[in-house]
Amino acid sequence: MSSQQDDLKETDTEARFEFKKEEKSAFKSEKGLTEETVRVISEDKDEPEWMLERRLRALEQFQEMPMPTDWPGQPDLSEVDINEIVPYIRPDIDKRGGADSWEDLPEEIQDTFDKLGIPEAEKNALSGVGAQYESEIVYQNMQERWEEKGVIFCDMDKAVQEHEEIVREHFMTKCVPPSDNKFAALHGAIWSGGSFVYVPENTTVEMPVQAYFRMNSEGMGQFEHTLIIAEEGSEVHYIEGCSAPKYSAFNLHSGGVEVFVGEDAHVQYSTVQNWSKNTYNLNTKRAIAEKGGRMEWISGSMGSKATMLYPSTILKGRGASDNHITIAFAGEGQDIDTGAKVYHNAPDTKSTVESKSIAKDGGRTNYRGLVHIADGAENSSTAVECDALMFDNESTSDTMPYMEINESKVDVAHEATVGKIGDEDIFYLQSRGLDDDDAKQMIVSGFIEPITEELPIEYAVELNRLVELEMEGSLG
Amino acid sequence: MSTQAIESLSEDTVRRIADERDEPEWLVETRLNALSALETAELPDVIQTPGRRWTDLEALDFESLVDPLNQADETERTAGDDEVVVLPFTEALAEYGDVIEANFGSVLDPEHNYLTALSVALFTTGTFVYVPEGVDVEDVTVRAEMNSRSLFSQTLVVAEESSSVTILESIETGDAEVADDRYFSNLVEVVAGENANVQFGSLQNLDDDAYTYSLKRGVTDTYATVDWIESNFGSKLTRSDIETELNGDGSESQIVGTFFGTDDQHFDINARVWHQAEQTTADLVTRGVLDDVARSVYEGVQDVGEDAWNTSSYQRENTLMLSDDAEADASPKLIIHNHDTEASHSATVGQVDAEDLFYLESRSIDSRTARNMLVEGFFVPVLEEIAVDEFRDDVEELVLERLQ
Repeated sequence: MSSQQDDLKETDTEARFEFKKEEKSAFKSEKGLTEETVRVISEDKDEPEWMLERRLRALEQFQEMPMPTDWPGQPDLSEVDINEIVPYIRPDIDKRGGADSWEDLPEEIQDTFDKLGIPEAEKNALSGVGAQYESEIVYQNMQERWEEKGVIFCDMDKAVQEHEEIVREHFMTKCVPPSDNKFAALHGAIWSGGSFVYVPENTTVEMPVQAYFRMNSEGMGQFEHTLIIAEEGSEVHYIEGCSAPKYSAFNLHSGGVEVFVGEDAHVQYSTVQNWSKNTYNLNTKRAIAEKGGRMEWISGSMGSKATMLYPSTILKGRGASDNHITIAFAGEGQDIDTGAKVYHNAPDTKSTVESKSIAKDGGRTNYRGLVHIADGAENSSTAVECDALMFDNESTSDTMPYMEINESKVDVAHEATVGKIGDEDIFYLQSRGLDDDDAKQMIVSGFIEPITEELPIEYAVELNRLVELEMEGSLG
Repeated sequence: MSTQAIESLSEDTVRRIADERDEPEWLVETRLNALSALETAELPDVIQTPGRRWTDLEALDFESLVDPLNQADETERTAGDDEVVVLPFTEALAEYGDVIEANFGSVLDPEHNYLTALSVALFTTGTFVYVPEGVDVEDVTVRAEMNSRSLFSQTLVVAEESSSVTILESIETGDAEVADDRYFSNLVEVVAGENANVQFGSLQNLDDDAYTYSLKRGVTDTYATVDWIESNFGSKLTRSDIETELNGDGSESQIVGTFFGTDDQHFDINARVWHQAEQTTADLVTRGVLDDVARSVYEGVQDVGEDAWNTSSYQRENTLMLSDDAEADASPKLIIHNHDTEASHSATVGQVDAEDLFYLESRSIDSRTARNMLVEGFFVPVLEEIAVDEFRDDVEELVLERLQ
């Protein structure tokens, strides 16, 4: 065990995320947000008229909606001033819509993703990879065998041009309309980049596809949009990773994710979020599951200054099911407010939520979740389980579940526990020759295991490394 | 919207109520301050999620519900023992004015919200219970009948060091005819001194033309215990908040709640505990049954402060749905600022177990009787928490009545 631990320690995980590259761009918008900004972004992308109209309508909604300030115990967003954000930076690359070879990328971008280990992972474990740098996808590739089966995995901007009809039908219409919340509206106005995934009927994409999002510039906002359509009987696992170097000014990430799970389809969406600790991470992620469809959200929230993220699933068809596994780790100065939302709108639907959170060094975690069972959703069942670990007395751990049950033939259960790392557990491990730090790390690794075992091994290792990095040297 | 101005209310109204009772100046002042607080005070917080407000208090028409100068009640108080003081609030002022002045509002700020301010400004009834040091009394009862359109009640319990008291209060609708709807407001403050033990049971069974607001809060000194039993059966709409501040090291609180809703009754039940000292324990247990189109809303809060070392805090809430049209919302919350805490909570919603029903039917019990037996059984875990036989019998009887 200890030699493995040493190996991990020798890998300088922190350096892998913390490096900064000189800012180079082909196009950079002005700070702030006006109709002009939106028009400029749309024009630079040469978008069809309907997309510009949607953006402008979303902008209107953004301007009308107040900042959310009345949620009990919510993170402080007073620093988030959209007028201080650079919403759009197009990196300086020759080919729009993503190169299909890493060699075609400018050296500093290539180097960035090398350091993050993306090309390496692509060789070993993935069906396809997309990489976004600032506001646009710079690399996009998928193994030929999936292309032959009709699977589409491409840059969202490119999808607007090349798959216009299907994008027009699904983009921020029935799943996440801009009116959903202020940051969804913001996203609708200035979104850029992200992935489009289309899996045809009865097709199983056996290895995961991944997108990696990197913010490099100070004070920028990243607003990528991910649209996944899994047709009847298909299956796909999508992984997203995110990181940014830390600056003194704040960064804003406000992504939008829409997933359409067709009849008997199965989509797994995994996120390892490691934004720098000056980033506000305000996302809207939602899936709609048809009859017999199954949606899984696996989320690890490690980074960011403040996160407000509640991946949601609407169980629309009979027998649809949802599975949420989330882990939140809040260290010094971090406020991770995350959870799950599930709407049971049809009979025989099932959901399970498993949430694990760790708070230390004055960090705050909050599980905020909503389960709604509509009238007529007979024989639905839901089980929510929240566990929290606290390391010290400066930290805060909250649990705020909301359950709305409008149907009697249901089985609803919520459970939560909060505990500290047991002195006895640590003593036991120490008596086996581990020092205090290692003992605590092992306990934490065990605590989050339900999450790591859902991820491909490369990502599980990554997550463990991040946890280890958070734990290093800060224990008393 | 925050407040509704009630036009019929004025300083004059409040002074008339106070003068009729010959109240001391400090109380008149408190009432008048509460009255003026109405201008800015907010209605109690209600949970709101996208598209759903769990309870709509703003729809209440206080202008027509509140009739301050015609309040009437008939209240029977028994002390069971000479050593304890159990008096109507107004009568107690003459002899125990100092104790009342020292404790009134110390637990519950009259200006806490719009409904508490309204209640303090206008109350005409209520009870003062004073348990001197070392006194141990078991059967203090307060049985009240409401005989007017609106009734505001204010109760203060002061239990001195190492005293122990069990208080049972009940409220029903009296014979007096009232056109239209009624409003009953019940504020209770409990001050538990060092090593004191207060058990406060409350049974609300008003007719279904009533709206009820009830806020009961206790504070504990070192090693003190405040236990609550809150049973709600009556009223069209009930908002009930039961709260304990565990301020003394080693102090404890248990909040037991039951409700049974039929027709279109709406219960908004809240149980909250603040752990603010070391080695404190809390146990929140609520069970409710919903039939017809009744609706329940439950919020439980276990708040563990930074200085609350070695806290134990537990919460359970279970709702049983007997009808397909009933609705139940629940939000059990944990707010933890100290890591030396063992806390858990759980909440469930379900219906009568089909297998249990089948088992009873296979023993040739008809399905209606079988269901009723299971509902009675559902309440057993909370009934067992009720130490006073008389109170337990009352609750059981009301459950049976509702099942007929």
